[in-house]
Amino acid sequence: MGVKSAFKLKRLISLFAISAKMDLVWLFRDTKFALTAILADTISNLSVVSSVYLIALRFGGIGGMSVDEVLFMMAYSTITTGIFILFGSGNNIHISRIIGRGQLEHLFVQPLTLKTQLITSGFSPFTGSGNFIIGCILLAIAINRLHLEVSLWWITLLIIYILATMIIIVARAYLVSSVAFYAPVAAEEISSTAIEGTWQLSTFPLSGMPSFIQIPLLTILPEGLMAWFPSLCLLGKPPLNLTEYFPLAYALIIALAASFIFRKGLNYYVKKGSNRYVPYGFRR
Amino acid sequence: MLKKAPTDMCHTDFAVSINNVTKTFTQWQRDNTGMGLIRNLIKPEKQTITALDDVTFAIRKGEFVAYAGPNGAGKSTTMKLLGGMLLPNSGDISVLSLSPQKQRTILMQRLGILFGNRTELWWDHPVIQSLEWKKVVWGISDEMYKKNLAMVIELLHIGNLLKTFARELSLGQRMRADLAMMLLHNPEVILLDEPTLGLDVVAKRQMIDFLKRINKDNVVTIIVTSHDMDDLEEMAERILMISAGKIAFDGSFSELRSITGNLTRVAITMEQGFIPKIENGNLLSSNNGLFEYDVDLAKTPVRDLLSQLSEVEGVRDVEIKKAPIEQVIAGLYRDWDSGKKINV
Repeated sequence: MGVKSAFKLKRLISLFAISAKMDLVWLFRDTKFALTAILADTISNLSVVSSVYLIALRFGGIGGMSVDEVLFMMAYSTITTGIFILFGSGNNIHISRIIGRGQLEHLFVQPLTLKTQLITSGFSPFTGSGNFIIGCILLAIAINRLHLEVSLWWITLLIIYILATMIIIVARAYLVSSVAFYAPVAAEEISSTAIEGTWQLSTFPLSGMPSFIQIPLLTILPEGLMAWFPSLCLLGKPPLNLTEYFPLAYALIIALAASFIFRKGLNYYVKKGSNRYVPYGFRR
Repeated sequence: MLKKAPTDMCHTDFAVSINNVTKTFTQWQRDNTGMGLIRNLIKPEKQTITALDDVTFAIRKGEFVAYAGPNGAGKSTTMKLLGGMLLPNSGDISVLSLSPQKQRTILMQRLGILFGNRTELWWDHPVIQSLEWKKVVWGISDEMYKKNLAMVIELLHIGNLLKTFARELSLGQRMRADLAMMLLHNPEVILLDEPTLGLDVVAKRQMIDFLKRINKDNVVTIIVTSHDMDDLEEMAERILMISAGKIAFDGSFSELRSITGNLTRVAITMEQGFIPKIENGNLLSSNNGLFEYDVDLAKTPVRDLLSQLSEVEGVRDVEIKKAPIEQVIAGLYRDWDSGKKINV
């Protein structure tokens, strides 16, 4: 590793560290409210996955997936939700809020690239890790009940699929958020609407559904790639005769599309400026 | 007065250099009639606003420059262009010999920007936390941080604010904390957009004194916009005035006064029953024997004025002072609005 790369890595770690420290300080500043918020968040997310799990329990599985396979899928979904909360607490994933409120200029005044700022600024390991930890526990239980053979390669695959899912989530958020460059007021909340509006759908096992429902949910609206498809791949049962690399290919394509469209929007922003500025909601 | 960078000067002598910069914006035009709605769907009407029209100026290192102009003249646009937040349509911009658009991250290590209507402080954290965040993000060394923190605590009197949450600060306190945060990385050039907006007299006084001091002691180049011309005159040595996207004046405040007619305010206190009369004087007010006039010293030299006053009966006291700069500027804006050209 060159000196420059080592310096960059050190800088990146220090930026993550200051975000983590501020998260901790925020938590200890008002523990009662912070713990309540974490608890409420966890209960809310768990209730989404547990409702599906309870249906699976009642009917002995869903569409050919066993109860434990459904539990595995729920664990996968909870982990990705957890990572989303862990790294996206500062509107850095719901970027349409920053764009729509005319707050990108707060990022421009920092001596960091936008990419670095967006990766590091929302890191909240103390207030945002509840879901991630619960997801890991659920995953361990599911693996145990399914008697899965956990090899190093399988763990690598798990990490790759989780990364692909995260790329799809973030890319989709940035893709739709690009509208906010052109219509700041109307599209301020478009990212949260696009992601959270269909979040429940992403936790439902699509096994047994007709292909005219499954295919659009793997392509046009990629909810099937949020947990269902990668879970079945990790269980060695890729559905619809599709290759197990499909989520990776989809992640790559949507990331490239989002990067292109977002850059175009950003270019429009620095040429035209924003005639809107909202002073709240940029930092907590 | 320096409108263009002279060719015999090294470009590194300049803190800021803007050459032939034009910046336009498009505004949507809509009416609220039924036909207007349909017309908008088929062919939306747009209006092009020229915020900066072929603007050229240069600012030397260590200068304190006021950047003034009426609403919508292009002041904030210039600030955003200098800060790399906007791209110009054409022309070159250089701040500390760096391109704000192409070398933004390097420039931001040496530039400080403060917009009076927004804060860089973390809203739900104590002020000291924002300062520490800045230290990490800007990569400020421990030594520089400690030194500058001690300096801003002393000069801006923010010692008692450090543990207070930013959301609980008053406007004046918030501005001081924002200014302190901006100065932690030793910026060589500071851009201030309306820094005295909404501040009371005491807070404004503190801010002005502080800015003058860092300009003098640390040789920091400061460019400041404000609607309060009296504040600007007190702070800056040079004033750049922009109107309708063009630089309408570039010089000192005294030069500005002289081109607008050298207006002088004369206050005469009279004994009861006496009324003064001054040729070419414009009576502004009279109250309890105090008469205030505007006199243009370009038309009535001070010697003639004193001679007239010596002949007036019943004079108890006379005070002659410069007309408030606000009045001078207001006259200038009126002239610009009516399309009248002034000889700059």
